[in-house]
Amino acid sequence: MPTVSECAILAHHQVAPGHLRLAVQCPKIARDARPGQFAMIQVSDSLYPFLRRPMSFERIFEDGVTFLYKVEGEGTRLLARLTPAQTVSVQGPLGNGWPLECGFKRHILVAGGIGVAPFPALAEKIKQVCGKMPEVVLGARSRDYLLCENDFRRMGCTVYVATDDGTAGKKASATQVLAELAPGPGTRLYACGPMAMMAATSLIAEQLGIDCQVSLEAQMACGTGACLGCVVEARRELEGEKMVRVCADGPVFNAATIDWDRHRVDYDR
Amino acid sequence: MLANVNLEINLGGLVMKNPVTVASGTFGYGEDYDKYFDISRLGALTTKSLTLKPRAGNKPPRLVETPAGMLNAIGLQNVGLDEYLAKKLPFLREKGVPIIANIYGYSPEEYAELAARLENAGAADAIEANLSCPNVHDARIARGAAFVAQDADKVALYTRTIRSATRLPLFVKLTPNVMNICEPALAAEQAGANAISLINTLLGMAIDPETRQPRLANIVGGLSGPAIRPVALKMVWDAARVLKVPVIGMGGICEAADAIQFFLAGATAVAVGSMSFRQPDAAARVIDGIEAYMKRHNVENIAGLVKGMRI
Repeated sequence: MPTVSECAILAHHQVAPGHLRLAVQCPKIARDARPGQFAMIQVSDSLYPFLRRPMSFERIFEDGVTFLYKVEGEGTRLLARLTPAQTVSVQGPLGNGWPLECGFKRHILVAGGIGVAPFPALAEKIKQVCGKMPEVVLGARSRDYLLCENDFRRMGCTVYVATDDGTAGKKASATQVLAELAPGPGTRLYACGPMAMMAATSLIAEQLGIDCQVSLEAQMACGTGACLGCVVEARRELEGEKMVRVCADGPVFNAATIDWDRHRVDYDR
Repeated sequence: MLANVNLEINLGGLVMKNPVTVASGTFGYGEDYDKYFDISRLGALTTKSLTLKPRAGNKPPRLVETPAGMLNAIGLQNVGLDEYLAKKLPFLREKGVPIIANIYGYSPEEYAELAARLENAGAADAIEANLSCPNVHDARIARGAAFVAQDADKVALYTRTIRSATRLPLFVKLTPNVMNICEPALAAEQAGANAISLINTLLGMAIDPETRQPRLANIVGGLSGPAIRPVALKMVWDAARVLKVPVIGMGGICEAADAIQFFLAGATAVAVGSMSFRQPDAAARVIDGIEAYMKRHNVENIAGLVKGMRI
């Protein structure tokens, strides 16, 4: 059951330029939270900004959770100012979370930039429940913007790095590196990042006929399914003329259900 | 300090144990919010707009945050009447909360059919006719939306047609995008509306200066949230001075103090809208706050606050 909790801030610090990790104490939310679910965070007591900000759980502990976010607008700028002496209102857990099935031979996590946010909790869960180490493809602008690389390595994951400028790992896109890993039958892909990157990942999965799960991001108002503001288009041939809610039907979707057509542009070119 | 106060109202024939409902489209059909508070605490629950057939709504992006508020262009995505009756109604009836069914049609006859079928199915305790949705027209083609509620003659025609189809209390929801709110409000009253809902969203838009593209796929959307509260309050005041039927005030109500302003301006009931997005139990907090205010100010009956502005 989701709740709204006023949570103590345990830690809040920069992990890359313009990127922060927020750790909060919230036993009730942490107890119910699953990897891939998210919370709505109130960035300020003032009515401007008015809406909460949706953020995936990065890690889930016994009495708290962490979030990883990028400072992008007024809301995250205000959030970034909060210090461990303060509290923050957190609503959650919300959404469906990653599906967890141990039958797959390989689990490959494909992250683009801040899209890595929902993956540490997932990697931990796959390790814990399936006794298998996922492979992680980390895509970033440059070395300075690589997130969570050491966290994944510490867990025992094999990490493949792709940067736009070649300052770390391969000078390539995350999906180019993914293709080189030769995912075959029995592989499940999990992707989170820019829409074009997830569209490219879903295309690879489609061509290989393998399972692909994506975690989508959208502007949200309610986070609970009521306002219908965060929808994306489902694939017409499967669902008819249908919109799916990122907050309540997602944020994790089987990539095959999403209409990627208008997002498949200019990526990997 | 009073020990007991009376929050009950009669809203154009609908008895409500307190004067607080929710604004259509901000609360779904209630089930999402019942996780956060017992929705039977509401004086009434107003549904998302229902159409005869299901609607997919507009393409995304459908919302963008703006200073102290938000723009939306949902485009009346809803489950349609049949699924409402089959899937949504049983939960609401089990909760026992009075239902204000908000309806949208493409002709007066469609509104009338919706109202009649809702009444026959025992699926509503009052009807709110949405004559003012800003988002059902494609702004790229239509070059600015047109609302039934911008034309007093059309308001009269639609209201009369719906009135003849149902005996349920009939509320008419109007748009603030008019020169003089009193004209459509009086037209609705004279055609048989039992209450007037004020206001729907204000038309607005936002552009991303980097990409030079509109923030909303529909280009134009409806502005809601605390940003519009002063406009809503003034329109409620304008309308309540000329109407005999009650006004349901809405527009940026975030807390009890905001609701009190609407009563003082002339509203008999209030609706909490976008604030539920930020604070899921906002409506319950408003109810508690109104009660506390009445005790503190020795107001025995909520009616004692209506039109109570001291000039």
